[in-house]
Formats: sequence, C-alpha cells, structure tokens
Amino acid sequence: MDTTFVLPNSGHHRDDMSSKMGMWLFLFTELLLFGGLFLVYMIYRFKYHDAFLHASYDLNVWFGGVNTIVLLASSMSVAMSITAMQKGNIKLSKNLIWLTIIAAGIFLVIKSFEWSAKFEHGLFPGMEHYNSMGNGERLFFFLYFFMTGLHALHVIIGAIFLYFIIRAIQKQKVRQDKYMFLENGGLYWHLVDLIWIYLFPLFYLIH
Amino acid sequence: MNPGNHDKTTGQEAHVHIVSYKEHASTFLGLILLTIMTVTVSVFGADLYTLTVLTALAIASAKAVVVAMYFMHLKYDPKIYKAMLGVVLVLFIVFIVLTLIDYLIRN
Repeated sequence: MDTTFVLPNSGHHRDDMSSKMGMWLFLFTELLLFGGLFLVYMIYRFKYHDAFLHASYDLNVWFGGVNTIVLLASSMSVAMSITAMQKGNIKLSKNLIWLTIIAAGIFLVIKSFEWSAKFEHGLFPGMEHYNSMGNGERLFFFLYFFMTGLHALHVIIGAIFLYFIIRAIQKQKVRQDKYMFLENGGLYWHLVDLIWIYLFPLFYLIH
Repeated sequence: MNPGNHDKTTGQEAHVHIVSYKEHASTFLGLILLTIMTVTVSVFGADLYTLTVLTALAIASAKAVVVAMYFMHLKYDPKIYKAMLGVVLVLFIVFIVLTLIDYLIRN
C-alpha cells in the first residue's frame, strides 16, 4: 500500500508547507503595519478632504503610473522565475530574478527623481514651503513621504532578498526539488507590489 | 545521496501545480488593463465625485485579488493559506470599522 503520510522528525530536514506558512504570517504583520498607516490616511482624508485633493495635484501621475507598470512587470518576472525553477530551467530562473532586481532599481531611480522634485519645491516635512502650508496639506505630504518611503525601503530589502536567492541558486541550495526560499522571496516581492497597488490610487489619483 | 529517495514520500511534491508562463503573462496583461482603467477614471474626467474613491479602491482591490490568486499562487495552494488571509482581512476590517465609529461619534 502506498501511503504518503510521513510523521514529523522522520528524517526529512525540511517542511515546505510550514516554511511558506511562516512567510505568510510575516506578510500579515506587514499588512497590518501598512494597514495602520492606511487607517491614519483614511481619517485625515475625511477630515481634510479638500486639502488632500489640492495637495495631490502636486504629485505626478506619470511617475506613479510608470512605477506601477514597472512593479507589475517585476512581479510577473519573479512569478515566472518560480515556474522556470519548477520546470528545471535554472538559468532562466536566475535571469528572471535578475530582471526583477533591475526593475527594483528602475523603480527606485524613478522614485528618487520624483522625491528630488518634491525637495526642490520644499515639500519635505520641515522645509520652508512645507511649513507655510495648512494642516491638511502638511499631513498629506507627511503621509506621502512616510508611506512611499517605507514602501521604498521594502523595495530595497526585497531586492537584497532576491540577490541572496540568486546566490543560493548558484550554490545549489535552491534547486528544482527545493525552491521554498525562492517562493518565499517571490511572496515578499508580491507584497511590495500589493502595497503599491493601494498607494498609487490613494496618493496620485485623487481628482 | 540517493536522488530517488527524497521528499516523494512526504507527498508535498505530489500536488504542486506549475503555473505556466502564459498564465503569468495574461495575469500581467489583466493587471495593466486595470491600471489603465483606474488612471483613466481618475485623470481623464469621469466626474464621479465621491464615487471616484470607491471606484479606485474597488479597482485596486481587484488588482490585489489577482496578484494574490495568481502571482502568489493562492489559487493552487492548500486552502489553509486562503483561510489565514481571510482571518487577517476580517481583523483589519474590524480595525477600520472601530476606528470609523470612534471618529464619527467623537466630537
């Protein structure tokens, strides 16, 4: 009789399902971290509706839009790299992760252009123009810098995470029959994408 | 190391569903379409006023579901992950509702 049931501690050194579940639990904490910030955003948007509308005109929809497409494309490439790994195409898998890291770089470059334009206009909290604005506008830009900044930090961490996965593939610690590290890295990257999916309309598309 | 002797016995590999490149590509296309939709609604008019926020959030949530189901493999993974995510989302909705009530009934 062919039974597939194996007890824990049966000589197997890993448990893929628990590994992935641990990653999901971590993602939930991230979700609640950003969720709290979205709550703050929601209340202040109620309170300072017109100011938020007015302030959002200072954001460039095209910067945000292009970055959305960059992140979606990178999400696709990391998802495809898992497919490639499962099919045993190691080289393609590695190249697709590199593509994702490059997309992370493009995202950050665009973001830095966007931020430096805001710096030039003195919109960063503490700057002169920022201090001269009303409460609502100030809250909008404070939240904008804090939330996109925290998101950008996640992009950087995600890119480093992916780089370590490439190293692990090279050392054959990640292989066709053992790719949970890659899959968890992918999950983290998709979370970064998910957060941006909400940040984009809430900051750039108030009209 | 005996390559024939690993993990097959755990059954974990038995039900792995490999999502095809094509499926990922069409998921991406769908997400791009939704992005174009949300930008169009917002930038090029469609004077929906308060409805704009709701439309934007609805489209964003549709995108989030697509990412979670296809890119994050929730559709093909064991149902336990979906259930866990569901619990967290309910928790978050409770937070939102409680905060809203607090905001509305305070002076």
